[in-house]
Amino acid sequence: MVQLWRRSKAVLHLAVNLPGVVDHLRKIAGRDAVLDRPEDLMLYEYDAGIRKSTPGAVVFPQNTEQVSQIMRLATAENVAVVARGAATGLSGGSIPTKGGLVIAFSRMNRILEVDVENQRAVVQPGVVNLQLSEHVAHLGLYFAPDPSSQKACTIGGNVAENSGGPHTLMHGVTVNHVTGVEVVLPSGEIVHFGGKAAESYGYDMTGFLVGSEGTVGITTAITVKLLRKPEKIATLLGVFESVDDAALTVSAITAAGITPAALEMLDGWTLHTVEAFCHAGYPLDAGAVLLIELEGLREAVEEQAIAVREVCLRQKAREVRRAKDEEERALLWKGRKMAFAALGRVTPSYYTQDGVVPRSQIPAVMRHIGNVAKKYDLIIGNIFHAGDGNLHPLILFDMRNAEQFERVLSASTEILEFCIQCGGSITGEHGVGMEKRDLMSRLFTEEDLDVMIGLRNAFNGAGVLNPQKIFPTPRMCREISGPSQNPVLMQEGL
Amino acid sequence: MSTATTTPRFAPVFRAICGAKYVMEDPAELRAWNVLGVAPAIAVTPASVDEVANILRFANEHGLSVVPAGGFTQQQVGNLPQQVDVLLFTTRLTAVEHYDAGDLTVGIGAGCTVAQLSAMVAENGLFFAGDPAQPERCTIGGLLATGLYGPLRHGYGGLRDYCLGVRFVTGDGRKAKGGGRVVKNVAGYDMMKLFIGSQGTLGIVTSASFKLFPAPRQTRTFVAVFSSAAEALEFRNRVLRSPLDPVCLELVSPQAHELLVPGSPAGAWWSICLRAAGSDAVLARYRTELGSAVVREMEGANEQGFWRTLEDFSPIAAERHPRSLSISMTLPVSDVQPVLSQVSAVAESNRFSFAAIGRVGIAHLLVSLWPGPDAEDSLVNFVDTVSGLRNRLLRDVSMAVLHCPSETRHHISAWGPMPTDLESMRAVKMALDPKDILNSGRFLF
Repeated sequence: MVQLWRRSKAVLHLAVNLPGVVDHLRKIAGRDAVLDRPEDLMLYEYDAGIRKSTPGAVVFPQNTEQVSQIMRLATAENVAVVARGAATGLSGGSIPTKGGLVIAFSRMNRILEVDVENQRAVVQPGVVNLQLSEHVAHLGLYFAPDPSSQKACTIGGNVAENSGGPHTLMHGVTVNHVTGVEVVLPSGEIVHFGGKAAESYGYDMTGFLVGSEGTVGITTAITVKLLRKPEKIATLLGVFESVDDAALTVSAITAAGITPAALEMLDGWTLHTVEAFCHAGYPLDAGAVLLIELEGLREAVEEQAIAVREVCLRQKAREVRRAKDEEERALLWKGRKMAFAALGRVTPSYYTQDGVVPRSQIPAVMRHIGNVAKKYDLIIGNIFHAGDGNLHPLILFDMRNAEQFERVLSASTEILEFCIQCGGSITGEHGVGMEKRDLMSRLFTEEDLDVMIGLRNAFNGAGVLNPQKIFPTPRMCREISGPSQNPVLMQEGL
Repeated sequence: MSTATTTPRFAPVFRAICGAKYVMEDPAELRAWNVLGVAPAIAVTPASVDEVANILRFANEHGLSVVPAGGFTQQQVGNLPQQVDVLLFTTRLTAVEHYDAGDLTVGIGAGCTVAQLSAMVAENGLFFAGDPAQPERCTIGGLLATGLYGPLRHGYGGLRDYCLGVRFVTGDGRKAKGGGRVVKNVAGYDMMKLFIGSQGTLGIVTSASFKLFPAPRQTRTFVAVFSSAAEALEFRNRVLRSPLDPVCLELVSPQAHELLVPGSPAGAWWSICLRAAGSDAVLARYRTELGSAVVREMEGANEQGFWRTLEDFSPIAAERHPRSLSISMTLPVSDVQPVLSQVSAVAESNRFSFAAIGRVGIAHLLVSLWPGPDAEDSLVNFVDTVSGLRNRLLRDVSMAVLHCPSETRHHISAWGPMPTDLESMRAVKMALDPKDILNSGRFLF
């Protein structure tokens, strides 16, 4: 154990010979494919979270062979490497090591193959999530994982973080939709895990790699499942007087044996903020709403819609609305997906977490969050994937107020500790990254972490790939930034 | 590594760990628990995770080979072990760790059988989607280690989709876990994926958490018959392209039908058996969409019995034809047709008969082959049949030989080529079982 810690600390994070490395990178990827001027590098120092760190260089490979050569160079020179898609992550997964190398995948953004009969696509990591669904829409197919940032985030990033989204309640997270990957290991070797078959004999290395947050290898091609679009979709809005009533409804729907495709909650404060921003038609005087989507065979959806309405009304819903057409449906979802952008109007910064609780604990955790907000004198909004117990408390703050930020962190930790206490997790879809690594030891024992670190070291022993992520380190340095710094995110409404 | 004959001198250590009652030392008794004919030197049945860890730590220190065991339903699968120093039963690890009917999740000891778990959750109108062969014997630990599944894999996904967490002891005796008990969780590495289908070579799973599903209120099975596999698969394609969302979609070859329903007329029909869940209105829709190809519907006990028998296809085939090959293949959906043609051609050239079933919507085939009346029942013929299939494997197809006549074992590898990089798998193995004490020689290494 002790040895492992020491080993990860001993990694050289700074390129000793950066100009030489940059020259070599230009030879590998092309003169125009490397950035090393400070003003350019500043654009690569943050993600959508609250930390930043400036890299020493950014390289834009155009093919797998170049990624392999870059990795070989980085390993030889002991330069820390992080792969980066659109940097929409919230946990710091794509934040570079100071002075290290960013491999940006914006030039590896091709859909390599669409295999209709097998319902698979093979894509490069830089393909934007929503673009894949749009590309195959005329075939009646789509890619199911739908993070709120799906207009911007890349499938490579989805793979690294094992991203979720509202519809993962029915369809599962990214790992449930990936059957094969091409990976460049820290040695530079190019290997393949899995393929187009749903499963194969041998260890499920594909499943292991997805969600390893860029610490095992760099994915250069991904084989994903494409789902057939459902025949019928029904979108309902349950309006409740209180958060408590809405929270109790979530477990009542689950207990009634209904699995919606999505089941999202917005509390009263968030409703106000969102409505003022994008006029989705949300009721302004409600305590909370549930956005419930059902999909499948026409007959089944109609029956479930009736059942869901009954459950909501039994749980004291004031009313249950149903989107009567695609336009109304889009409007209801617009409010949900634009919620984070709406916050930009009311707060300089916000901090969000994605703790998970067993679904039956949602009423309790919502009460706890209310108490935490009072205790620390903070505004906390809630907009989250209620159906699978995945919280997103939004804590507002002003980063110029250091004392307030300390309260934000304490409040956030108290919420996550509650999640851990009731058998939940510290992250449902954002990943551990940098921000939650020190909480890992609350969830996992030293031996649990020792086993995981042993696996990381089996592939990434020198710690060149995405060091200082996932696993707790004795010391943490934190720099703070506001969420508004990433222009792409502001536009796309994460 | 010590020899199996010297292992009994470690018996006092195991007695101290588990209690004398739970250490089996009688050679005659141990022979009954042989692994592919290799009798274990000693068998232990620990009662707790700590006892499992103590046993593995000791075995690791002394280089003893350990074979984990549950219900012994798949223990004869895999390559021949050189020796079995310690057979470790997980059957006393049956505690319910958590059961939250309202959350649709359960955490259960590895030694609990699938049937026990299913019965427990059925009381709350829920069900566990794992449907391996012989559920009364198959344990949760064995299910995870072998990655087994049955027809429900089509509608509910595989273990990799609904296993939420695992607790395990590594080959070198570290107690650890991955995942948790909530339905969505990305904290830390996904250890569940590594353990599912690892054939007991990375560690011993002591308990696991699963997502449960609401039990459907009613189901119906529609049977459609065709004169060729090609026509049956064309019908499958129609179903896959339709809005229908069946829970099972199974192909049954003519010979398989005869095996599963003894005494049934030896017809030449390939059938597609589609199981649907839902209200009367939903089932009526299925009837309309499926059309005139459907010749029979099954419901109630009749339907239950049919699917239970289908789950047991491999053991039933091996019992009826002890001198047979039992093969399992995972493949892309579009390869089912060419692979079945290959199977047919290889069988014909060796004058073997074959029976096949498979969840053809996700593409997993189970094939049983045995020498036909005019074939020579020889070692060469069995070996030829396997290599005939392996030599023509398409990309992305992986094939395991689950059962073969005992004298052919030395000549037939159970696993064959895999699409996943072998050296990466070796790195995982070395990180979790560095001395290779777990199921040594039986799987990849």
